[in-house]
Amino acid sequence: MQVQSMFFKRRASEKLADGLLQANMRKAKGKFVDARAKAVLEFGNWEPLRDYAAKLRDAALADLDAYLVEFERNATRRGSVVHWAETAEEACAIIVKIAQDNGVRKVTKSKSMVSEEVNLNERLEAAGVQVVETDLGEYILQLAHEPPSHIVAPAIHKSKEQVADLFTEAHGKPRITQIDALTREAREQLREHFLSADMGISGSNFLVAETGTTLTVTNEGNADLVTTIPRIHCVIAGIEKVIPTLEDFACLVRLLPRSAIGQSITNYLTLTTGVKGPGDADGPEQMHIVLVDAGRTKFVGTDLQEMLRCIRCGACMNHCPVYQNIGGHAYGWVYPGPMGSVLTPVYVGIENAGDLPNAATFCGECAVACPVKIPLPDLMRKLRERQFDGHLRPWSERVGLHAWGWLAMRPGLYAFATGWAARIGSWLGGRDGLIHSLPGLDGWTKGRDMPAPSGRTFRDLYRERQGKR
Amino acid sequence: MKVGLFVTCLVDVARPGIGFAALKLLESAGCEVVVPATQTCCGQPGYNSGAREISRTLARKVLAEFKDCDYVVAPSGSCSGQVKASYAQDLFKDDPDRAEFEKLAAKWYELSDFLVNVLQVQSVPGRFEGTVTYHDSCSGLRELGVKMQPRFLLSMAGASVAEMAEAEKCCGFGGTFSIKLGEISTRMCENKCASARATGAKAIVGGDLGCLLNIEGRLRREGDHETKVLHFAQVIAGDG
Amino acid sequence: MSARENILARIRGAQGKPGGEPTAADLGRVRAVMANPVNGPQPAFAHPPDLLVQFLKECDRVGTTHAQVASEADIPREVARYLAAAGLEARIVAWPAFAHLDWASAGVTFESRPARRDDRTGLTGCTCAVAETGTTLLLSSPDQPKVTALLPETHVCVVRKSRLLGTLEEAFALVRREQGELPRSAFFVSGPSRTADIEQTMVIGAHGPYRVHVIIAP
Repeated sequence: MQVQSMFFKRRASEKLADGLLQANMRKAKGKFVDARAKAVLEFGNWEPLRDYAAKLRDAALADLDAYLVEFERNATRRGSVVHWAETAEEACAIIVKIAQDNGVRKVTKSKSMVSEEVNLNERLEAAGVQVVETDLGEYILQLAHEPPSHIVAPAIHKSKEQVADLFTEAHGKPRITQIDALTREAREQLREHFLSADMGISGSNFLVAETGTTLTVTNEGNADLVTTIPRIHCVIAGIEKVIPTLEDFACLVRLLPRSAIGQSITNYLTLTTGVKGPGDADGPEQMHIVLVDAGRTKFVGTDLQEMLRCIRCGACMNHCPVYQNIGGHAYGWVYPGPMGSVLTPVYVGIENAGDLPNAATFCGECAVACPVKIPLPDLMRKLRERQFDGHLRPWSERVGLHAWGWLAMRPGLYAFATGWAARIGSWLGGRDGLIHSLPGLDGWTKGRDMPAPSGRTFRDLYRERQGKR
Repeated sequence: MKVGLFVTCLVDVARPGIGFAALKLLESAGCEVVVPATQTCCGQPGYNSGAREISRTLARKVLAEFKDCDYVVAPSGSCSGQVKASYAQDLFKDDPDRAEFEKLAAKWYELSDFLVNVLQVQSVPGRFEGTVTYHDSCSGLRELGVKMQPRFLLSMAGASVAEMAEAEKCCGFGGTFSIKLGEISTRMCENKCASARATGAKAIVGGDLGCLLNIEGRLRREGDHETKVLHFAQVIAGDG
Repeated sequence: MSARENILARIRGAQGKPGGEPTAADLGRVRAVMANPVNGPQPAFAHPPDLLVQFLKECDRVGTTHAQVASEADIPREVARYLAAAGLEARIVAWPAFAHLDWASAGVTFESRPARRDDRTGLTGCTCAVAETGTTLLLSSPDQPKVTALLPETHVCVVRKSRLLGTLEEAFALVRREQGELPRSAFFVSGPSRTADIEQTMVIGAHGPYRVHVIIAP
């Protein structure tokens, strides 16, 4: 996906003014949050589970190299071919080559965010391969030629009427707007593709090192069709997805669907290990697993490594008040919300996504919701430190911070300056005590008044009071 | 019991009345209150803007100023969160002075938490007739567990608290966020004002002046000059 | 240098480990972890006094209907009853494990083969079932095609009471014990397929079955 994160402010502003998007986001807002809260309550010992999972992910990351090698060994033993890609470009080249070597003309895909990262669809299409997204949300967006705006519910920004318009145009059938009928229509359209595809491409929620297993966690059943029917199955997954054992998966899957959508389990857990066995009625003849770096190693061994714990549940964005108001497209790349505000600057360069770490009030809701306890606000703050230290924020901000820091260390001067600021502020507030506009503070005063200071500082008044005593 | 009052930079400049309300509450509960004259800021604006060294310097200043107090109290969850959750745990994590900052954190309290859980006050000087609604500020709520304390104090003052929808949702202030990303901040505040107004309360009460200025500024811009926006200290001290 | 070597070397470099590949000691350490799997915290309801009660409760929650039969021989009659009650045609494709039952007397047209695109109802067994979440585990083998549980609009699944377990961890332990390792496909099913991709409104029946019916048999 083309990086647009440098235009975050402009895009956010457009989204705030987009009435239809705002209505769609309002409708979606509470659903995930309420469902998660209910599931967490019902679970009982949620916090010990989060603690355990965070440690489990950290332990896997601490031995990432060894677990990857073990995963490769076990997957290979079971007949899978493991490929390694350092960059997005390499990942695409590997998969295009697999398609070309096997005369693949049609690919069905189940949802994969890594494939969005690396622009896989575009590259396959350029090589003459038809790509059909089969997750309902992704299918809708493929028809709309739009990127996902949420990592779990890609089409969260669309209304059923918008979906109806897209389907009418693409399927040439009478327009319907009932959600169950739209879902049925998509099912019928996609069934054809499932049965005729030469290759299925899926992501993988986790890679199990112990067994060489890739796995998906889904509700629709599309990932099962994609991984069962075509003669070739290709998995594309980030290297950080590796976990040691099946028991670790059992633990993480208690967290993932509950955090994502408040379900105790997804309809399908699809574990695939190697190729079709002798006599098997179904399953692929070839299984390829592409392990992708594309920026992940930039987190390893740094003060941002905790980000690699992420299990892509989307709870951070569901709970984020900024995301709730602007939606995912404003963020300008694959990963929106708090997790994206940490991932994107590192993956695409902080100079291309400078606003993202700053697009947070540090309200902390994401950190509370995260099932693997990633301290998202802390990580965003660390990125802000990189920006400050690397002179990557506007000079005015930098000078302002230094001036403020200098002044705050000199109490006499500080008292003098704030004393005047309080008086001038009060005067600016006029009769109603409100400052309606102030140069340099227009970010505030465009949509709000600034309640004016009352005129004297606490320290002045307190000194007076002590003097009288 | 010697209690240091950390006034906070915002209260000092913009709403000294909140500082005096806090003073009154502590003194009327029998505390010996000291207000170090040299205090300025806890350093959070720098910390959250990536200026780590500047915020470390200010943290050392805060430590020096309040070292001799038995307790330190601030009428702000945000500044208290900075001292309690960031100094030792992050800024001085690997510093020889870490233990000093841990001690500071242990004796530092947000005002409502101090009144309810340390002083265990049974009455407050202020009376408030009518309904208020309470906005939970993020740092106080999520870093310090301030939730029931201010509500308890408000009910002691006779106010009835009508809960707004999403009381725990951020108001959009976020320090410099409110200026750097003003449009998003404004929309978040608009939502907060709508939730608050839907309760019909005659005052929106909170525990952090940043949030309160944000909410008041938006209400007034929307033409609402009736709804009061108050710090809980003002209400329970009878200064509202 | 290959991508593999570069990635491994970068990870090791960043974590302050010497060399470009995991050492024998590194591999020994992770192999020891993998050889001794540890269970994480489990909810209280994963260890209920009665596994069947918990299993059926979760089935209800995920939208799986269920019935119990007194003996294996009763399965055809239950299938016939279920299909009639749901207004479905009395015709199924099934795993060969059920071929020996008397389908004719129950009035059900029975075919023992993997499901194809137009089949309406598929009958499968399962390796075990998990009470915590109302889940059945279907393992692939020549006699256990996954498509039979996936392509038809209705999936009927026979669960042996003796194969009812508490948790996923117990299911994995059972597979290790009985089969040594996972077969190509391990398919955990919890209810009919669904999606909430349009307006976050849950719709039953996405790409998999619309109906899942579990028959508890001795």
